[in-house]
This record gives sequence, structure tokens and C-alpha cells, in this order.
Amino acid sequence: MEGETNGGWGGGAESVLNLVPGSSISIRYHSLFGAHDDFLLLEADEALLPDILHNKVTIRGQTDEEAVLCTPLATYAMKFVGTSNSVFLIPPGEPIPPCMKDTCNDSKSNTSAVHEVVPSVIKVASSNMELVLVAPRLDKLKSLLNERPYKLDEDVETDFQHNRSLYRWQDLLEQIQASEQELRDGLKALSAAEIDGFWRIIDEKTMDEILNMVLNNSILHGWPLNALKEDEVVSILEADGYPRNITLHCLETFGNMVESSGCSLWSLDEKKVCLRFALQALGGGKMKLEIFLQKWRHCVPSGMHADLKMLEGEVLYEKLGFETWIRAFRVSALPTTPAERFAALFRERPRWNWKDLEPYIRSQDLHVPGLSSEGLLIKYTRRSQPSADVEPIFSARCLEWKEEMRLRIKIEEVGANVLLRQRVRGRSGDIDILMKQINRWMGNTQRYVQVRLGKSSKGAVF
Amino acid sequence: MQIQVKCNCGDGKCPEWVIIELQGVVESQLAISDQISGLEIGHLCCSSLSSSSQLSYIFTVGYHELSGTKVQLKKPLLVLKKKAAVDAAGPEFPASSATELEVIGIIRQKILFKTRPKALISLNTIYILFCRATGKETFIIRQPSKDQMLLSINSR
Repeated sequence: MEGETNGGWGGGAESVLNLVPGSSISIRYHSLFGAHDDFLLLEADEALLPDILHNKVTIRGQTDEEAVLCTPLATYAMKFVGTSNSVFLIPPGEPIPPCMKDTCNDSKSNTSAVHEVVPSVIKVASSNMELVLVAPRLDKLKSLLNERPYKLDEDVETDFQHNRSLYRWQDLLEQIQASEQELRDGLKALSAAEIDGFWRIIDEKTMDEILNMVLNNSILHGWPLNALKEDEVVSILEADGYPRNITLHCLETFGNMVESSGCSLWSLDEKKVCLRFALQALGGGKMKLEIFLQKWRHCVPSGMHADLKMLEGEVLYEKLGFETWIRAFRVSALPTTPAERFAALFRERPRWNWKDLEPYIRSQDLHVPGLSSEGLLIKYTRRSQPSADVEPIFSARCLEWKEEMRLRIKIEEVGANVLLRQRVRGRSGDIDILMKQINRWMGNTQRYVQVRLGKSSKGAVF
Repeated sequence: MQIQVKCNCGDGKCPEWVIIELQGVVESQLAISDQISGLEIGHLCCSSLSSSSQLSYIFTVGYHELSGTKVQLKKPLLVLKKKAAVDAAGPEFPASSATELEVIGIIRQKILFKTRPKALISLNTIYILFCRATGKETFIIRQPSKDQMLLSINSR
């Protein structure tokens, strides 16, 4: 019956696929039928196939992380999806996949000759993996690079522990769950530089020092701030002991390369420079707004104008009596996953108005495929607006973020009733308050309850 | 840690596998379960074209008949095999990539039997068990047929 027309086929999957109406075929267990835990089924969109089939795809993750699959451009979470149906996998009959050939010889070869010609089931699959486009997990990149930021005097100081906490490109690929493109973008967003083969964040003090050197020299030599000659700047700073690549990195961070006719020119970015000075002026603590403005305007380079608009997403204002206070609160210091970002925001302030909140949740900072700012607000905040003419206020949806942080609340009850479970589900409030509440409910019945934050582990682990 | 996904099939010429999917579990009787290889599961018959352009299939397992259709998968499934990475991959890959996944096949179509089986003759011994743990009704259809297959179907 099998192998209807094309004589080359010996059976297997082709016989099933090419079965013509009116004919039939026997389905058997393969001679190598078994659990075959090393076979995995991966559901992949047609658009992803070229990358996968051309060996451009890598699975990344440490043993304690949920595995992600990275194409050159994007990152996908891998989810196991189980089925209660029987899914019989039938390999092609001929040629036998090379990986099975060797085991084939080991087993009793008397059966294989017969069974290769009929479609044979090699495995009953109980699950397959699905891919879900996700944001790259770049928070770890920040913490890795912050382990040892570059300092000007480090060569003398830490020579003995040379390569510790330093990461090459290849090391980062091993450590970070992101595609190569996303990793590159992530490094750029952190203003990291490759120094002697290692990707580093430059220490803020070092950057400030070099920026000041550039500005001082521009006064000294009468350089225009919108057309700094690269060669001149670099060589003069080099004479003062500032490494060439660090000076260049500073120009890249605070400026933009402009039209180069023969030599490279750099134009310092007013906003970036002023912001830097604002953060210097603020230091760590909070400050009265007027005093801050005085200090800030005093220190920005002449020709540049300090404007509070430059500080969006960098500072927070606070009204204390008649006075407004200001203090640094930088979006770049916040986590990039939505759940953690909102948790951090609501730790800072329990209530936010839209104007203050908006700079901290702009979509370019928070990478969430397929979710807009509005979607994020709906998912992670509770919006209250007593009347139409009042600004809406956003407050926390506490339990929901915990869920989103993959912290699942498990209530382990010894003989407790289902009612309790229902009361807890979907309730908002901090976990400590919730626990007190539960104990109060349980107090009447004198039963023991334990609320545990457990990690749900739906992701694939290899 | 990185696990490379590889494909040696060359330019999208991955061998095509196929899935036969049905509800429930096909079991062999304990006595012969250790020699399961080569055992016939059932007989697949392609009947004439149904009203739509889909092909319809009859799968006979013991004295049970399932009817189903060929379904094009919305997204193809790749068959991956976990294996130890070959050292010959070159020195540019560090030793940490100890495993790799090789694409050994692709599945674009399955033959899906959605419906519950129909008994071909009335001589079957049908045990209806009520599973207390899950509250689900479970049919186990026991076949004294020569291929000794059992088909148990979990009711929804």
C-alpha cells in the first residue's frame, strides 16, 4: 500500500502525507519507540524559520533563569504547552535521521528492516514549546557592568585583580538574555564603552572630570562648543593624561558628531550637558527649588541655558508648605521590566499624577512588546478621578504586580476553607497587610495559615 | 549559558515529519508492553474527499473507529534533538555550550481525530470508571483484539 507512486520512499511520514483517497496504511510503533526526552517540539512562526534553519538562533539563560530564544534581532520566551491528547510523532521513513542511525545499530536490527517501511511512531509527545516575543532582560547587564565601572586611576589601583568583573562581548552574550542587536542597543543606552576588549560603564566622576576638562579647555582655547575639533580636544586632553578612547567616549556621550570636512567635529548637546550639571548640583539629597536653580544656572557653561524641561524623568518635585523641593529620581536607575518599574515607582510615591508619572513609563524605556503606555497603566495601576475636572491619580494594584513579578501567592492551609481562598484572590494591598488580614480571618477558626510567595515555573529550563 | 540551535538539513530541506493526534491514550496490555516496538497501533484509511477540500481519514484502533481530517498547522513545529555539542564546532565557541539543539525535522500537517471513538462491534467490554480524584469520568475500552491495544478516553 505504502509509497504509492514515488518509488524512492520507503514509508514513514511521507506515506501518511501522501495517502490517497481509497487507500489505507498500517501505523506501528517504531523499533526505537520510547520516551525520547531529547526530542523537543518547537512551534515557530513561519517568519522565524529562515533564522532557525540558518543557524542564527541561540537559546540563552543561566540554569536559574527561564530560557529565552534569541534571533539576531529579537528575544522570545519559551513556554511549554502541554496536551492531554495523544500526539504520535512519525518521522520520515527514509533516510533515517542520521542522529538515530547509531542507536539503530545497537538495538535489535532484525526488526528495523521491517518497520522502516511502514509509518512508525517514535514518540508520543506530551508537550511542545511556544515562543512569545518578550523584552530583552537587560537589567542584569546594568548590574554586571556596575560591578566595576572604569575609573581613570584604576590601572594603578587594581592591577592585581585584573580581569575580575570585566566582561567581553562573548561573556555578555553568555550572561545576558537578549539578542545581539538588543544587547548592542542596551550597551549604548547605558553609555558603555569597549575598553581594551572589555565592555565598561565609565564612572560618573571620571566622566564629569573629562567633561569639565573639555569645557575648561574650550574657554582657554576659544573653541566653539558646537564645533569642537576632535583631534585638538583629544590631543590636548591626552597631554594632560586622559586616555584618548575615554575622551572620545565622553564626546560621544555628551555630544553629536557634526559635518566633518576633513576633520571630525563634535557639537556638545545642550540638554545632556545641562542635565549632567543639574545632577551634580543636586548631589544626593533634596534641595529647595530656588536654591537649586541658582546653583544650576551658575554652573552650566556660558552659552547654554538651563531649563527645567530638561529634567523630565530625572527629578521629582515635592511641595512642602509654600516651598517646592527638588531631588534626583532618575528613570535610568529604575528597573526596565514593567512590574518591577511600577513597584519601584509606587515605593517612591503611593500616588502619582499623570504629569509626574509619564516620563517614567514612556515606552522607549519600558520595553513591552505589544503593550502601549495605556495598556501598562491599566495593567499596573488603579486610576481614580473623583470628578471630570480633576487630574486623575494613579495608585498601585498591589497583588497584580506581585503576580506579574512571577511571585505567586500560595495559601497553604491546614483544613482551611475555600472561602478564604476566594477572599484573598484578586485583593489589592501590600503582602504584609494581606497576611495580617488573613490571620484575622483565620483567628476565629484557630487554624494555621501560611502565605508563601512562590515562584511559578512555567518557563522552559534546560 | 548558550545553546546553539543548529540545522544541518541545508536550505530549508528539513525532512517532513507528521503527527497523528487523537483524544485519550492508547495503551498496550501490560504483558506485552516491554516489546512494544513494531506493534501495530491501528490502521489509517483515507476516505474520499469530503464536502470541503479537506481529506478525511478513518483510524481504526482495535475495534474502535476514529474519524478525522488532515489539518495544516498554523505555525510549523520543528523537531529538535538535544545533543552534546561537537568539539569540532571550533574554538570560537567556549566550552560552556555543552549542549546544542539540532533541527531534525519539521511538521506542517497533522491528522487530527477530534471525535470520540465509535465501537465497530458490540462485543466490547466497556468499563466505565469514575475517577474520584479528578471527578472525571473515564472510559477505558478494552480490546481483546490480536494487537492487544487499549484505548482510554478521558471525557471532558
